[in-house]
Amino acid sequence: MAHRRHRLTLLAVLVCVGLCLLMPGTVRAFGDEGAFHPRVLLVGDATFEGLRTTAPARWAWELTKRTSAPARLAPGTVRADSPALLNEPFAWWLGGTDVGTLTTREVAGLRAFFALGGVLLVDDTDPGVGAFGKSARRELARVLPDTVPVPIGPEHVIFRSFYLLGRPAGRVEGPDKLEAILRNGQAQVLFSSHDIAGALAQDRSGMASFAVTPGGDRQREMATRVAVNVAMFVLCSNYKDDQVHAPFLMRRRARDR
Amino acid sequence: MPFSLSTDLPLWAGVLAAVLFLAGLGMVAWELTLHRQRAALVASTALVATVLLALAVLRPVRVDARYTQVGPKVVLLVDQSVSMDLPGDGAQRRRVAAKAIDDLRLAHPTVRFSLLGFGSGPATPLDNVEDSLPADQSGSDLLAAVASLADVSDEKPSAVVVVSDGRLDTPVEGASKEQLQAAFAGLGAPVHTVAVATSTVRDASVREVRTAGAAVAHQPLRLTVSVACTGNLPCDSVPITVHELVEAGSPLALASGTVSVVDGSGTVELPITLDRAGSRVVEIAIRAPAGDELPANDRRFLTFDVTRDRVRILHIAGRPTYDARAMRHWLKADASLDVVAFFILRSLSDDVNATPDELALIRFPVEELFSEHLPSFDAVVLQDFDAVPYGLSPFLPNVSKYVREGGGLVMVGGLHGFSAGNYGGTSLEAVLPVVLPDGQQRVIDATPFSPRYTNAGRDTPVLEALRALHGDRLPEMSGANVLDIPRKGAVVLWEHPSLTTTTGVPMPVLALGESGNGRVVALGVDGTHRLAFSEMASDMAGRGYGALWDALLGWLMRDPRYEPARLELTVPCRAGSATPVRVHTVPGLKGEPQLRLVRLGSQAAAPTVTAPKDRGRSFTTNLPALDAGGYALRLRIGEGPSTRHDFACEQGGQEWADPRPDAERLRSIATATQGTPVLADAVGKLSFPEATPVATERQVSPILPPWVWTLAAAIALGLHWITRRWAGLA
Repeated sequence: MAHRRHRLTLLAVLVCVGLCLLMPGTVRAFGDEGAFHPRVLLVGDATFEGLRTTAPARWAWELTKRTSAPARLAPGTVRADSPALLNEPFAWWLGGTDVGTLTTREVAGLRAFFALGGVLLVDDTDPGVGAFGKSARRELARVLPDTVPVPIGPEHVIFRSFYLLGRPAGRVEGPDKLEAILRNGQAQVLFSSHDIAGALAQDRSGMASFAVTPGGDRQREMATRVAVNVAMFVLCSNYKDDQVHAPFLMRRRARDR
Repeated sequence: MPFSLSTDLPLWAGVLAAVLFLAGLGMVAWELTLHRQRAALVASTALVATVLLALAVLRPVRVDARYTQVGPKVVLLVDQSVSMDLPGDGAQRRRVAAKAIDDLRLAHPTVRFSLLGFGSGPATPLDNVEDSLPADQSGSDLLAAVASLADVSDEKPSAVVVVSDGRLDTPVEGASKEQLQAAFAGLGAPVHTVAVATSTVRDASVREVRTAGAAVAHQPLRLTVSVACTGNLPCDSVPITVHELVEAGSPLALASGTVSVVDGSGTVELPITLDRAGSRVVEIAIRAPAGDELPANDRRFLTFDVTRDRVRILHIAGRPTYDARAMRHWLKADASLDVVAFFILRSLSDDVNATPDELALIRFPVEELFSEHLPSFDAVVLQDFDAVPYGLSPFLPNVSKYVREGGGLVMVGGLHGFSAGNYGGTSLEAVLPVVLPDGQQRVIDATPFSPRYTNAGRDTPVLEALRALHGDRLPEMSGANVLDIPRKGAVVLWEHPSLTTTTGVPMPVLALGESGNGRVVALGVDGTHRLAFSEMASDMAGRGYGALWDALLGWLMRDPRYEPARLELTVPCRAGSATPVRVHTVPGLKGEPQLRLVRLGSQAAAPTVTAPKDRGRSFTTNLPALDAGGYALRLRIGEGPSTRHDFACEQGGQEWADPRPDAERLRSIATATQGTPVLADAVGKLSFPEATPVATERQVSPILPPWVWTLAAAIALGLHWITRRWAGLA
């Protein structure tokens, strides 16, 4: 039964991806104008390849399946020094190795991105080694000097932007908090040491590309929910912090304890 | 004096002549005491010669003068306030005043009367009492008028006569004698008073309306209303109602109650809440008992200048998108905005793969919002929101009513906006500034385009800030909601470069319009977030988005910065009289100003208003005589958006609220200033200082030519010398 559902899911993804590929790359359909687009950020001479290349499409598909938010089902990549970085307010920087040193143009591009209010998710796919996370932090310190990442836990709106979550999740269990660089009270850079991309990636048969440890399918589901919440946070920012929602959510959390 | 000495001699010369004259006579007298022969003859010739010699020096002249009697200057200060239109003793008070002045002039023909009127400001000259009414009759500020008399450097009056009913703003009722003396001291003259009325009508009235603090939108305001009955009108309990007058609709009931009248007066406190900022006209009315002879003061029309503490916005987004994100960021960044937001995060077809307890979602409270809380918002933003699936359709009549009653509405396009959101053919469509295509027509056009500014868009202050940042450049949109022709009175600011409406004109993309008392913005695209986040936006640090929406919301909320003009009545409107209105237009606007007057709370047509032909950026025009009530004056310049000013017009206003004359106050003024208080039929009893004679003509002519005096003196001296020799003197 589970296999059949996975096949149907894969079929749907492939149909959607196929339809999107038929469209000219620069044209956005009306209604997709503001759709969530989990673009992968590339720096230096890096390319986006490997088993995790299906993760962005999976993220977009899960978002459209679970929520009313539109998403670009065939996400692309964007280079840090490209003007295209400023086309949309979200990018996903994922990797497992040292990112090297950002060029001056890349630093300037990212600064302009953050100056307009862009949000960057930094996803360490090999948090056991931590080389990517450390180097990304180092380079982002050049982009946003005088800022330091701070831990954010369940009290942050990102953990209730769609699902009520107690902790972050990904391919690995990782720490029980995310980290974020806050500017003007808004989280603009999110650091995950959980390999969210690894939890989302699937192979051509619709099977998960990576095993999720230690929680298995439940942890993978929670990783998907984290991804959905990140997307909703990007689209709605602190909407769920509004007073009109606060009493309701406080009651629900109290009941869950 | 008919005679005088020559005026060309200095005083010392006259004195010297007199001294020499006396010295000469003295010497002759002394001489004759020593030599008495023919002394009388010598003395007489000496006297004649000395006199003639003195006259030859002094040369006397004859003076002919004519005199006239100049009467004292007396200022007649006539009350020109509206209360003078009330009944007085036997006739209208103003008419009684006119007759009293005529009588006064007849009784004192030598007195120089200056006729001045007083109202809300300085005294102004009058031709006559009944026709020369001042522009502002809403008050009777006697002390301001007296101060203006005391300030002039002209001849001071020897007396002032105040002709009034005594119902004055100043001096206040109950002022002491010392206070009155101090108030009138600058005149330096007695103030006589003429009371034109002593009896009152049988009347029940709204005597006074007070508020505790300023009117703030959405916040309760306590009205303290005093009701009084005079003239022995039997009053016990008087029902009272408070309504807000709105355009194109029935007045909104704000409060009601009953006033218990004890000893002729009573007070009631009525809390009201005005939900719309700006000038709002409120009617306060009582149901007077039978026998009320002055129904005009049974109701007051008052203009409340309602301010906002914070602008309350209801933001509803049909889907979380980058466009909704940009709108939310902008709304939340402004501390002056109080935002209540609802994003539809999940549709019924979405598979959340979770139990409800695992979701941070709440039900969209469509019924509470749109049936109960809607009036508490200043503006509603419907962004890419489909009316059908989330239950808004049944409440669309409420939304359109909300707009007509003064609320603001923004409809932002997207896949679920306008016709695609099932608004076509609904009551809400009727308040939009554009017609929507019907169900048979295409409702979305997915061709990318960049909107184009219209001429109105280039001229309006609303888009000035955006154009200052980006010029005429606008970001590319991925498509548009198909909109049809703009409605009458709507203004299109952006248009589609290639699509046209059913009438062949370019399709509106951004349009502004008014419906009833409210304003509506229609934006048929979902890509203005590119002014906040795009390569183009980066050039201006994303400020274009705020520049656009600050202005659109400001226009929606009637922020004066985005209005094409400012309208102000120079004096309060009085029913039955023309009212001057001053218009200040924004520089750079092109087109003819069109003024339109609308009566609030009534379908009745209001008189037309025309702008003067020769005018600059600021001009004054006259509103025609209006009936009592509330009015909205709209001004539109060319094809641009219109501006509006609401105002109340009253027949008597506060001046008629208390119709009782106050002869006692007039008596106090006269007594304190050494004047005389009289009634209108006894002005003959007033007395003024006597007339002063003043020379009007003076003619001087010599009695004899100077040579005659000299010759006579010479002959007399010769005779005296002969006589002296004859008498044996040297």
